[in-house]
Amino acid sequence: MLKVENLYKNYGNIRAVDGISFEVKRGEVFGLLGPNGAGKSTTISIISTLIPPTKGEIIFEGESIFKNPKNIRQKLGVVPQDIALYPTLSGYENLRFWGNLYGLKGQELKQRINETADIIGLHERLKDKVEKYSGGMKRRLNIGAALLHMPELLIMDEPTVGIDPQSRSHILDTVLKLNDRGITIIYTTHYMEEAENLCSRICIMDEGKIIASGTQQELVELVKEKTQINIKLDSINESIIDGLKNIPGIIDAKIDEDIIILYGENGDILLAQIIAKVSEHKNRIRSIDVKKPNLEAVFLHLTGKALRD
Amino acid sequence: MKILSIIIKDFKTILSDKQAIIITMLMPLILMTILSMALKGSFIGSDDLKVEKINIAVVKKYNENNDNAVFEKSMKERLGIDFDSIEVNPEKIFFKDFLESDKVSELLSYIVEEENEAIKLLNEGRVSAVVVLPDKFIYDMKINLLTPFRNNVNIKVLTHADKTVAGEIVKSVMNSYINSMSSIIIGKNVLIESVSANDLGESGFDNMEDIMEGMSSLMEGINVDIEKAIVEGKRSVNSAEYYTVAMMSMFILFAAGQGGRMLLEEKDNQTYQRMIIADITKTHVLAGKFFTVFLIASIQIIIMILFSYFALKVRWTDFSMVFLLSITSAFAVAGLGIFIGSLTYKMGNYKLANTFENVIIQIMALLGGSFFPVDLLPEIVQKFSFLSLNGVALKGFLKIILGYSLADISENILILAVTGALLTILGIIIFSKEESANVKHSKITSVKA
Repeated sequence: MLKVENLYKNYGNIRAVDGISFEVKRGEVFGLLGPNGAGKSTTISIISTLIPPTKGEIIFEGESIFKNPKNIRQKLGVVPQDIALYPTLSGYENLRFWGNLYGLKGQELKQRINETADIIGLHERLKDKVEKYSGGMKRRLNIGAALLHMPELLIMDEPTVGIDPQSRSHILDTVLKLNDRGITIIYTTHYMEEAENLCSRICIMDEGKIIASGTQQELVELVKEKTQINIKLDSINESIIDGLKNIPGIIDAKIDEDIIILYGENGDILLAQIIAKVSEHKNRIRSIDVKKPNLEAVFLHLTGKALRD
Repeated sequence: MKILSIIIKDFKTILSDKQAIIITMLMPLILMTILSMALKGSFIGSDDLKVEKINIAVVKKYNENNDNAVFEKSMKERLGIDFDSIEVNPEKIFFKDFLESDKVSELLSYIVEEENEAIKLLNEGRVSAVVVLPDKFIYDMKINLLTPFRNNVNIKVLTHADKTVAGEIVKSVMNSYINSMSSIIIGKNVLIESVSANDLGESGFDNMEDIMEGMSSLMEGINVDIEKAIVEGKRSVNSAEYYTVAMMSMFILFAAGQGGRMLLEEKDNQTYQRMIIADITKTHVLAGKFFTVFLIASIQIIIMILFSYFALKVRWTDFSMVFLLSITSAFAVAGLGIFIGSLTYKMGNYKLANTFENVIIQIMALLGGSFFPVDLLPEIVQKFSFLSLNGVALKGFLKIILGYSLADISENILILAVTGALLTILGIIIFSKEESANVKHSKITSVKA
């Protein structure tokens, strides 16, 4: 459906996007994961035809979006990172305005507004001014404004930033619902749990580059040898550390203050042996935490820094 | 359709801003009412459309007999000419030929008083101005009118602080007198030079009487130039009429101020970017803003005209001309709004729009006569009044109230239309040069290119 080829974007001597290429298939939820400043929003702005790239090509349904931006604009819905609404107008007035801009009017527009209100769950509050909405409601209306014209491709740029867990959960459900209706979604986030829960394929970006891409499974494969087990004991001494290190399957061990950090291939199997080893040394476990490989770990593995840095 | 949607949305947005409504719609109504009441006495206009006469007191600081005697003696000694036979009476010229002439007497009625009494009358507000004819007035005027010499004659006009406009009119009338006298004196000098050149001697001065006999008709020809004081009046305006147009022409500028913020607000709200994604062109966006400002200014004008008509009894004389000038004024304001809006968008902050609303509008209001008539300003400041759109509109609307024809206001209409068009073009050029979206990015930490 959408093919990004060798895309660059420079701002002065700063390179925001550094030669990225990826493909979005029809019907999937495609994730762009990366920390703030990774170049996700710039990439999305270019796909949305808001800014031209310095170099590169984007093909939408076989046609360059730079040569014919109208084609993608008609089929594209964008949920910007910021709330792009008119706070002094009501939710209904906002939806009607954005519907009008997509050429909707009369009965059709009313029907679309109703459908959209159902999807975003704001029927009861549509007559209220947006400035009176909670952060989560504003985010939902922000999504609704991008849905009125029934886009084929929906770009959502960090749609859950700064909202409460309940609203966040509602939005994530909405994303899945929209995908079920056949809408292809490009979803950017720096929350790895969102990417894990929503996306069928993920590109991890950092400093303008794609550092890894694939399904979640494929990405986790990159670091599967490193299940991390954090243990807090009553006391730490050389013999217990040596004992734990010698458990078959443990690759590495280190101490961070009062926590022993162990790395191994399969956390579940190792756990029983670790508990046995601690008992053997007449020590007691105060807490134990098994961290299975996830996208956070992938990012850490690939860049040496945490995703939220 | 899309432009209409933008206009409706912008209009609703503005209507939902109570503070903006108060400033743009309600404040001018309150101000025009207060000012028209408070400054009623400062305007000579009246409700029955007749010009109310301005009362003045004239103080004679000279001694007529003494001046005449000194003049005759002096002339005999200096020129050897006997002026006894020549009937030139500066007092008659000033009082009878000038102050009592048809045109001046329509405007002014005078009494002659001692200086102290005159100032007392002025302080009590019973006269609007005191005209002081100086010491040796007769002597100096005769020197000026009958000899090759020229003496300064300083006629003082004292005005009442609360009747500034009437005071200005009196000053203007006195200037007309001085200008007319100067013309006569120049004519006299030409005659004397001709006499000398042709060696006609004393006999040449026989013609002087002819000149002076023509003085009365010359005085009738004096055009009392009170245009500046009451805006080229066929009749005078009253305070309600003046401050209706003054406030109207000033407050429509606030519509331009609102327009000046709209583009950057759209960008800051990310709604501009959303519009571009919805395939709305820059032209659509700009046209939407232009017509929104135009609509706001037009509504302001309609409300103020209706309010002034019903509540303040302002007679607008010709509504078709009012309509035409209103449309052009709103057009100019819309152009100004687009220009400020584009510059504000380019700058990326609201400093310019704020400065326009808080400083530039006030300066334009002052220069254009929205606070008080332009003629009350220092002359140097008056020279800059052409810079104010509100001043052009104000003069045009006053002309309509005063009963002028379409041809008379065509210059005002033309200036507003051309200014509006130029500002719009400049705004379009500035806006079109900006990168389409200027997307707000999160902090870019990427590598150097």
